[in-house]
Amino acid sequence: MAPTFGPRLLEALGPDIVRTEPEDLAAYAYDGYDESGTPSAAVIPRDVRETAAAIRIAHECGEPVVPRGAGTGLCGGAVPHGGGLVISFARMNRLLALDVRNRRARVQPGLINLDLSRQIAAHGIFYAPDPSSQKISTIGGNVGTNAGGPHCLSYGTTTNHILGIEYVDTLGNIHRTSLDEGGYDLTGLLVGSEGTLGVVTEVDVRLMKLPEAVRVCVAAFGDVESASEAVSAIIGAGIVPIALEIMDKLITEAVEAHYHAGYPAGAGAVLLVEIAGAHDDMDATEALLARIARDHGALSWRAARDVAECEALWASRKGAAGAIGRIAPNYYIQDACVPRTKLPQVVAQIERIARDHRLPVGNVFHAGDGNLHPLLIFDRRDRRQAQAVVDAGTEILETCIAMGGTISGEHGIGYEKRESLSLVFSTDDLAAMGRVRNVFDPMLRFNPDKIFPTGAICGEVTRAPSAA
Amino acid sequence: MTAKRSYILGECTPSRIEEPVDAVAVAAVLASAAADRKAVVAFGGGTLQTIGSAPSRYDIALSLRKLDRVIDYDHRDLTIGLDAGVTIDTVNRTLAKAGQFIPFDAPQPSLATVGGTLAAGWTGPRSAAYGRLRDVLIGSTAALPDGTLASAGGMVVKNVTGYDMSKLYVGSLGTLGILVRANFKALPRAPNRRLALAPLPDDARERAIAAIAHLTIEPTAALVVDGFFRAVPRVRDEDARLIVLFEGSAAVIERATRDLRSALGAAGVAETALFDDAAAEKTLQNVIDAYIEPVGDRSVTYRSHGLASNAWARAGASLALARDHGLACDTIADIRSGVAIARVAGRTHAALSEWLTEFDANIRRVIPQSTVLAGDVRLRARVDAWGAPPSTIETMRALKARFDPTSMLAPGRYVGGI
Repeated sequence: MAPTFGPRLLEALGPDIVRTEPEDLAAYAYDGYDESGTPSAAVIPRDVRETAAAIRIAHECGEPVVPRGAGTGLCGGAVPHGGGLVISFARMNRLLALDVRNRRARVQPGLINLDLSRQIAAHGIFYAPDPSSQKISTIGGNVGTNAGGPHCLSYGTTTNHILGIEYVDTLGNIHRTSLDEGGYDLTGLLVGSEGTLGVVTEVDVRLMKLPEAVRVCVAAFGDVESASEAVSAIIGAGIVPIALEIMDKLITEAVEAHYHAGYPAGAGAVLLVEIAGAHDDMDATEALLARIARDHGALSWRAARDVAECEALWASRKGAAGAIGRIAPNYYIQDACVPRTKLPQVVAQIERIARDHRLPVGNVFHAGDGNLHPLLIFDRRDRRQAQAVVDAGTEILETCIAMGGTISGEHGIGYEKRESLSLVFSTDDLAAMGRVRNVFDPMLRFNPDKIFPTGAICGEVTRAPSAA
Repeated sequence: MTAKRSYILGECTPSRIEEPVDAVAVAAVLASAAADRKAVVAFGGGTLQTIGSAPSRYDIALSLRKLDRVIDYDHRDLTIGLDAGVTIDTVNRTLAKAGQFIPFDAPQPSLATVGGTLAAGWTGPRSAAYGRLRDVLIGSTAALPDGTLASAGGMVVKNVTGYDMSKLYVGSLGTLGILVRANFKALPRAPNRRLALAPLPDDARERAIAAIAHLTIEPTAALVVDGFFRAVPRVRDEDARLIVLFEGSAAVIERATRDLRSALGAAGVAETALFDDAAAEKTLQNVIDAYIEPVGDRSVTYRSHGLASNAWARAGASLALARDHGLACDTIADIRSGVAIARVAGRTHAALSEWLTEFDANIRRVIPQSTVLAGDVRLRARVDAWGAPPSTIETMRALKARFDPTSMLAPGRYVGGI
């Protein structure tokens, strides 16, 4: 670290904004991934001006910059592996403007996802992307990973709900993009770029009208394969519910033990289906779904009786990973996406891979999207198990790629999967992405060591001006 | 020479036409053109080539029409992989067999291609309901000026694997790379559709538009069309008509119709004609075709994106400005997506020509985001197709320089002279 880095930040922004003591910096060393890295300094800016000032100083001192939302990311995207500056958006957490008529809002990146929907619910509108972490994860973080969630089956992922972005570039200059303006779709590029192109300081989001009617149904199946077959059949029949989620026996039991939401006991797999729309369609759609489910071996089917039960079913589904904490010392959650017809095959393959590596596996996934989240259960203290998790994880990704899928549906590439990116993309594919990186961040200072495989892209040879 | 004529842009005629048969051949054309310092403009059906400035250099017209295969379609996946030269009609027909669709909503779908419609950044009237094309594009392959083929995304509906490069090519008018393949998320097609057409007298307009915004069952398209009588006949002698599309089950459509009639009645709109299914689609397509339809050699059509709540005001402002200059004006206000269209026409080419510079300056003062969408080629050459560039133009220029360092792809056609 440049010796002047901390003092310069402190001088410019003051001790309320800047953290340089090791005990304070420890809080910014982790996210939901396994590995950590301690930053040289952290700032908690109150506005874009302070954010830009910190980035400018980092640039002048040649320090990397890692933006941080709530730190719920699972791929190490918010971990400063190479030290440098972490920018926490904990204080930039407000809804700045709401336009109910046009269903859009301007928010700060640190606004918690669920807080946004709660603050606007009275107007009959909501923010659709709902990652399971939505109670704590932030809009800015969601933008970084193009976060999904159960309901993106019908509503689309984060990128479909972002209309414009204010961001700070590597030199500390402030820019604003908008889908309403002409020119290249910089907004679309920034979403999902995991903090490697710009540091997002404001987000214009699209909001949706709350549906008139919603119904949540639960079906029990003998095993995950038959539940997956039912999902493929539902999608194949041209029905896109707003959510189609599967939990296997292991997950369902863990969830029930923890939440008591009323999922069927003893089922090999549970299918959670949510439909929404006009009142008029609810009965007919549910009847059709129930028939398809039964045709594919559903042992039971029932609709939640009231709003409270719907909420309980969802809360426990979204808390599934947490519930695993009851039964396992450690778990590793994988994220991959396959064409929907490949689900039953992939699920069978995952079970085989886990068996080969002698690891228990739980499956909880956004089945309607083909987005899998196998959860490998292990004990970190056992070296065989720790290695087996890594090997099985890689095999699962390779299987998904072989089936025409990809290595991340919604968690991102981050640090964890960067070397796997070349399994999906050719050198030419990566070179095109590298050009974009070079335009936005020629020195590779924004979230370095993320997304791209080692050596896949090179920074500019120009040196940063040395610190005064 | 007739063949070359259909590839003329502005005053420029290409010296040759290339019609590669596959993606690799497209990349080879670009590599050899780069070596020879030739400028290339990609062509699909040519239907939206009226967008953008005339190229500053133009040697090769690169037609993608021979890349016309549906590459990868299993209807059970609700995804489809397409060659860039496939026509929108072909996609629509292919998907309709399985009860699916993609909301292209492009003009002249028998000519328009997937790649051209994407490159033009087309936004149709159902985009607010179903997403813009960028929102359903899940993967792509582009041929780049260095002769490589670069893919991004894939055939899955959720993907955060590397940058979302596909979005960069959408609306780029072929200035960064040439799309050779596009993968889409298909959507289930509603079993029924109904289009309601109502006269919109001046005094009812504001209340009627407000009423549409408050309908419980949201229309999948809602447009106020003023003029454009060839596309939409006059109703009760009114210049302005309201077009509302509902899609869904029979029960929902019946209820939506009742709600609409009652809301419009309360707003002072007396009568609503209904068109179902094929007739509804035909009426909507007529309007979509009108977006780019010129009036002989005496019109220029402007388009602006913006808030849905002021699309109608933008259309109205264009109309008022045109009248101030003694010009005719037909407008379409998409009151769901926020797109506004204004076609200004003179009695003669010379009449519009006389007032165009002044009108153009005024419309850009009132609606700064106005761009030129269609119209007579000589008249279009007299005005800036894009207006003031966005604030992020320097980043866009840097992207162009990095992807196309010799500016061989459609030079000068894009925003800010890119």
